[in-house]
Amino acid sequence: MSVLIIIFITAVAALFSGVFDQGKFSRYISIFGLLIAFYVSFLPELEFFSQYKAMYEFGANAALFTRISIVVTLLLFFLGGFAFSNHRSHQSELYALMLFSLTGGIVLFGFQNLVTLFLGIEILSIPLYVLAGSSKTNLRSNEASVKYFLMGAFATGFLLFGIALVYGSAGSFDLYQIHEYSVNNPKNYMFAAGAVLMLCALAFKVSLAPFHMWSPDVYQGSPSLITAFMMSVVKISAFFAFFKVMSIGFSGITAGWINIMGVLIIITLFLANVMGLAQSNAKRMLAYSSVSHVGYLALIFFGLNNLSAYNLAFYLFAYSLATIGVMMCLIWVEKIKRETSYNAFRGLAQSEPILAVAAAVGMLSMAGIPLTAGFMGKFAIFAQAIEDTPFLVLVAVLGSGISIAYYLRLIMAMFFPKESSFNTAERVPLTYNIMAVTVVIALIVFGIFPDLFARQFGI
Amino acid sequence: MSYLLLTFLLLPLVGSAVVFAWKNPASKFLALGFAFAQMFLTLYMLAGLDFKPTVDGVLQYEINYPWSQFIRSNLHFGIDGMSMLMLLLTNILTPLIILSSFNEKPGYRNTFYGLILLMQFGLIGIFTALDGLLFYIFWEVTLIPIWLIAGIWGQENKKIEFTTRFFVYTFVGSLFMLLGLIFVYTNSASFALTDLYNAQLNTTEQTVVFWFIFFAFAVKLPVFPFHSWQADTYTYSPTQGTMLLSGIMLKMAVYGLLRYLLPITPDPVLGISGQIVLVLAIVGIVHGALIAIAHNDTKRILAYSSLSHVGLMVAGIMASAIVTMKGSLSTQGGEGAMVQAFAHGINIVGLFYCADILYKRFKTRDIRQMGGLAKVAPKFAVLFMIILLGSIGLPLTNGFIGEFILIKSIFDYNKLAAVVAGLTMIFSAVYLFRMYGKAMFGEGDERVLSSAEDLSGIEFSVLATLAGFVILFGVFPQPLIDMVSSSLKFIYASMLN
Repeated sequence: MSVLIIIFITAVAALFSGVFDQGKFSRYISIFGLLIAFYVSFLPELEFFSQYKAMYEFGANAALFTRISIVVTLLLFFLGGFAFSNHRSHQSELYALMLFSLTGGIVLFGFQNLVTLFLGIEILSIPLYVLAGSSKTNLRSNEASVKYFLMGAFATGFLLFGIALVYGSAGSFDLYQIHEYSVNNPKNYMFAAGAVLMLCALAFKVSLAPFHMWSPDVYQGSPSLITAFMMSVVKISAFFAFFKVMSIGFSGITAGWINIMGVLIIITLFLANVMGLAQSNAKRMLAYSSVSHVGYLALIFFGLNNLSAYNLAFYLFAYSLATIGVMMCLIWVEKIKRETSYNAFRGLAQSEPILAVAAAVGMLSMAGIPLTAGFMGKFAIFAQAIEDTPFLVLVAVLGSGISIAYYLRLIMAMFFPKESSFNTAERVPLTYNIMAVTVVIALIVFGIFPDLFARQFGI
Repeated sequence: MSYLLLTFLLLPLVGSAVVFAWKNPASKFLALGFAFAQMFLTLYMLAGLDFKPTVDGVLQYEINYPWSQFIRSNLHFGIDGMSMLMLLLTNILTPLIILSSFNEKPGYRNTFYGLILLMQFGLIGIFTALDGLLFYIFWEVTLIPIWLIAGIWGQENKKIEFTTRFFVYTFVGSLFMLLGLIFVYTNSASFALTDLYNAQLNTTEQTVVFWFIFFAFAVKLPVFPFHSWQADTYTYSPTQGTMLLSGIMLKMAVYGLLRYLLPITPDPVLGISGQIVLVLAIVGIVHGALIAIAHNDTKRILAYSSLSHVGLMVAGIMASAIVTMKGSLSTQGGEGAMVQAFAHGINIVGLFYCADILYKRFKTRDIRQMGGLAKVAPKFAVLFMIILLGSIGLPLTNGFIGEFILIKSIFDYNKLAAVVAGLTMIFSAVYLFRMYGKAMFGEGDERVLSSAEDLSGIEFSVLATLAGFVILFGVFPQPLIDMVSSSLKFIYASMLN
């Protein structure tokens, strides 16, 4: 809980730096605060906070997911200086809102109670509605914001209705009492309906098809760094909440929702990958790719064992790193070319080889090519799920097979032409090159030595 | 832990990194140096290798290091006779392939040589891995460099299409292999090769796994209905890319078929699945040869000839496997396939280089527009002929003994199949002599011929080395067979358990 408080204070400080017209410091304040929070996440929790245990507990899984989302947020903030360079007037708000959203995520990592879950989801989402529209003069950004808000409100309705039904039958908001109830009363239909409604609401938050309709538009319209934030940190938080609710709260009635989940996974994998293939815009393609990854992730619900949470963390971290690698390349191209079609990337490898390699390794990792972290993540999830449902793993394999085609298109656009289409004197900022090298090394090192992840982040 | 093997594994990787970093036209000499160093290291290891022990015993050069606490898989590498033969092929051909590119104008850049060395690293990994997951990892690692080589330096107007098809096809194939391996893994103690051999699977499960894993190999080889990527990829890739693909990469699948597929899933071999594979392979032999006869593009002819030759290897392997499963241990097909894989690697690389030389002289790949080169290029005519005869399988050339054993092994299983498979020798004589005759003899275009030169120093040294191997292993094939026989005995014997 101390981590939560530190990040909240950092967010307020970053916000106030803008009030006193010192917005340019907000990034350094945020980075500093996040570093402290990261350090504190390794310390034992204060005795004082144990009295909140019924609502929020900073356990081993919460610590693991908190650490990875702090690291990912830090990496994104390093990219912020260049990415937000045309938002000079209100930088502090952007960082503060991202930190508030992260706070919501951390609430979700430790929730013990459906009320905390609801609060976490809302704290996570509301800053995002604003962030999606933070490019005020851009019509697409405004559209993204409104669309996200309307759909988000709808999902909140589902969630609340679901919670109400669950509370009505189980008589408690406590996750573990709900778990007991589900084990003892597997045939209560009101309870099951509540579970399914909550599944729908959370599927919306993680954009599992067919509840994904908002995500391509929102991801495309939002400023690119915010999109990267939504694809990484928000996905980590929302998916972990999804995982915790379904695997603990409703584990007694697994038979009631696991088939729905299976159908959603099949729809997601086919729809997202085929739609991704049809795109001509790289950013929109990445949005569909992000949806398809939720499909692979959701296989975690099959063949659950005590390593599942760890596998989930590994996959999400690998995916977030890959996303950062690709998005930083996209931010640069968007800045120079003012668009993100495949054509805009032509010959990037000739002018900015480091950035192009980072994007390529990122996409190969997303596709699950060995020696990248993405492969290890996919392997762990497939190996877990195949004992329960070989068929769904086969579907996931076919999905990966389709997905490689659209990643290749972008890589080919960057590497195959002999001449660069970037005839500008402007060079990529040094931080981006450093970040690119970091991301590539991290992806490959975690791909070769997956145990390092466990050692660094502690389980 | 063997530091010699560790050096052997990492040398190409280090070489690749150094060449990538050194942006200089002279980096090609550095790449060649690394390739030669690797070759001498191979010969040194060959000299100290005893071919008897196999994967269940203690190997001489062995690395076994725990990898991850979450995956029951070890970093387990080792060499037995069968791997050694493939390593020999890889490390003899790589320096020749690098050398063969030295005449290109404009020259290739350091990244090209870096990718070739990276490819070599992946291939060495495949041939030394003794762990299912490592095998898969290296299998994919080889795909990236060859794809980039084909894509960046391939024929300009075609490259997007053919490289995508090649990559997606092979990637989907290998994903199925991964799925099959994971399935076996969940039913066995670990990914270690011997544990995979002993996995508890019933016949139905084995049949599914058999086809999943076979699909990956069938795409890579390729076997008959999965070959649609092959001709375009071989034709439009740069010559060195084609050499790597046909000379070495294809052998990965022959090796995988013996090392992984047969011992892990022996039961389906006896059922309808084994028969289907055998029939597909034989269809491939005839299909490839007939198409090769009809084509006029040199690289396409060679691509289809490769399809035809590979079909024979697969048919031989499967025939021996079926005979073994029926109760009488037979390793002939495997021996023939390994010897033939070695010979085919040398011959097809030589032939593709000859096709490249023809292209340089005539500025076309169409054999109808060539002619008369033998008059002005006698050295080339002789060396081309030697390699050609090796590929046809004339006695006393390296192609003969492998094909002979293969056809013999098919004959032991089914006489009719052997007759059809034996057509490959006749057909290959038809299309290869047709190509040779049109290009080298007859009336040529005087203007082209007057400016055409005989082999340059580099071209001569590459072709002469290859032709030397053709004759050397044609006259003394026995060492090759001795190298692989004990490994193969173990593999075929473990099918029966």
